[in-house]
Amino acid sequence: MDNLLHSFSLAVRNIKRAPLPYLLTILILSLGLGMFFSNATLYYWLNHDPLPHKSHSLFYPQINATLQPCDTCTSPTRVLSYQDVKKLSSSGIPSAQAAMFQSAGYARLPGKTDQSPTPVRLRVTQRDFFSLFDVPFLHGQRWADNTARRELIVSKATAERFFGRSNVVGETLQLGNELFTISGVLQDWDMLPRLYDVANGLASSQSADIYLPWETAYDLGIKSNTTTMSRDSRDYSENFAVNGREGDFYQAQFWVQLDSPEQVAAYQQFMQQLVQSEKAAGRHPRPEANRLTNILDITAHFNARNRQLDAFALVSLLFLLVCLFNASHLSLNRYLASQYEFGLRRALGCSRGQLQQLILADVAVSACLALVLSLAVAAAAMTLISSLLPATRNLTSWNPVMVITMAGTALIACYLVTLYPALRASFGSLNRQLK
Amino acid sequence: MITLTNLSKIFRTELIETHALRDINLQVNEGEFAALTGPSGSGKSTLLNILGTLENFDSGDYQLDGKSVKGLSDAALSRLRNEKIGFIFQSFNLIKDFSIYDNIELPLRYRGLKVAERKQRIDNALELVGLHARRNYLPGQLSGGQQQRVAIARAIAGEPRILLADEPTGNLDSLMARQVMELLEQINQRGCTILMVTHDPEQARRAGRHIQIIDGQLHDSMLYQPMATATVRAQAVAQGV
Repeated sequence: MDNLLHSFSLAVRNIKRAPLPYLLTILILSLGLGMFFSNATLYYWLNHDPLPHKSHSLFYPQINATLQPCDTCTSPTRVLSYQDVKKLSSSGIPSAQAAMFQSAGYARLPGKTDQSPTPVRLRVTQRDFFSLFDVPFLHGQRWADNTARRELIVSKATAERFFGRSNVVGETLQLGNELFTISGVLQDWDMLPRLYDVANGLASSQSADIYLPWETAYDLGIKSNTTTMSRDSRDYSENFAVNGREGDFYQAQFWVQLDSPEQVAAYQQFMQQLVQSEKAAGRHPRPEANRLTNILDITAHFNARNRQLDAFALVSLLFLLVCLFNASHLSLNRYLASQYEFGLRRALGCSRGQLQQLILADVAVSACLALVLSLAVAAAAMTLISSLLPATRNLTSWNPVMVITMAGTALIACYLVTLYPALRASFGSLNRQLK
Repeated sequence: MITLTNLSKIFRTELIETHALRDINLQVNEGEFAALTGPSGSGKSTLLNILGTLENFDSGDYQLDGKSVKGLSDAALSRLRNEKIGFIFQSFNLIKDFSIYDNIELPLRYRGLKVAERKQRIDNALELVGLHARRNYLPGQLSGGQQQRVAIARAIAGEPRILLADEPTGNLDSLMARQVMELLEQINQRGCTILMVTHDPEQARRAGRHIQIIDGQLHDSMLYQPMATATVRAQAVAQGV
């Protein structure tokens, strides 16, 4: 312990000996690490599995059921129609399934007509959405079934914004011109990446403020504010409750939970049979192109990878390598200036192992400084990236595992930077500097 | 104590091979005070570095206390240097931002001694060199002679059996040089073997044994000069010889 403390006190003393070269080394290292950490953070959040315990069982089914004939159209649409959802929901195979789309609206407390309505993010969905994606409830519960109902589920932040408290189950909220009863309040929850919304390219957006029942949205004519397609001549601005349900209007995402390979196979077979029966009824003129995509493959499936972030990641990695090279060069100069002292220590009986212990203490101190500085650089870089790429705004937080990983990376980087100089110092001629 | 048998050392570059030491045969007994002299470039310092295991040799053998140092691992050589050998350099080689105490403590740390024992040994060494009151000074706050005394204290704090001194008075004026020589004699009288490289004939004369190296070879006539033990040499000094 005494020797360990001595090693660390020597490492600190080394900084005092030549503060400028030392700080320059740390600064260069921190710049490289900081840029790398900022991009690695975005990369991590966009590529990690948000539901590791069940991601293998979540699937996005698609059928090529557009009514216009097209023999060369072998890719199904990204979103489904109400009728597609209804048919795909009829299998009875999945342990959970939910259709959904994103929308937006204005909400306010009933009777507060003097107040301006507040814009809110809506997710129109079905009751299984909350079990599919493990959404935790703080108060109340999910809807009893998928029928139309004037009941909302709100986020905790939304409850506090409108009511100043979280337990607002049973309270009334006005959404647009309609009054709704709040039946549930969610815990603070954000799924990152928001893979259920990759079809709309919104993997890094914030979760919704208010959750609205699927059938109610159709009754009220609420449409998606992201991807919508219509392939017939109906006027969907009129009588959406009927047209939206019966027409060739595409806006829905649909997720199913298939817990076993047998369920997956059964659902695939169900989709095949569905398409065959649709073809037989003349409602599936296009080639069969069923898809059942796992949630972890959904980004690649929709070609929704953020290429800008990939480019940033590559550039930051190259920048880190350049910084490591430069820091190593500076470190070599610093160590060569101390070569005499290394020789003296060796002459006095310090073994190479003991010398490495001193160098490792030096590396540890450098790594601590580089970590703090690089985190500051990373935070600044992420702020900059967020302003350039607003879609990344929710991907800039660190959890303890990430901080530990970054500390480990800083330690390895500092060791790499010190490795060659340390070897030179340890294996250099003992007598050359001593006279 | 020290036995060199047909020891040779060659420095090689791409174009030239330089025989720094050729077939050196030397026996140094415990308690001797030997002066190594010779012209510049004759191989004195190389020999001293080999004796201190700071440098390898190409052929022959070097036995310390009856054991060959050839083939010893880095850890074993480091331990041997730390426990058996003390170095005194012409330029003192003190770490300038370490206090006197910290400088002397350095080799004791590598031996893994406890704090109390280190302190005891440092106090003893500083008492011997007369610098106990300046234990917290930095080397730059001391004169050249005092710095060399600190270096001697560092060398003897580990109670080595051999002191290797490479022109220990080379950077000192005559008064300070005399003080350092007296200190070395005092240490030798306690039984420590000393090998000292020097250019000064007066200092060589004060050592009990005079070993001359010319062109990497021991000069025979000087090699077989009668060896003086510490006691014999002390008597010679008392008689004014």
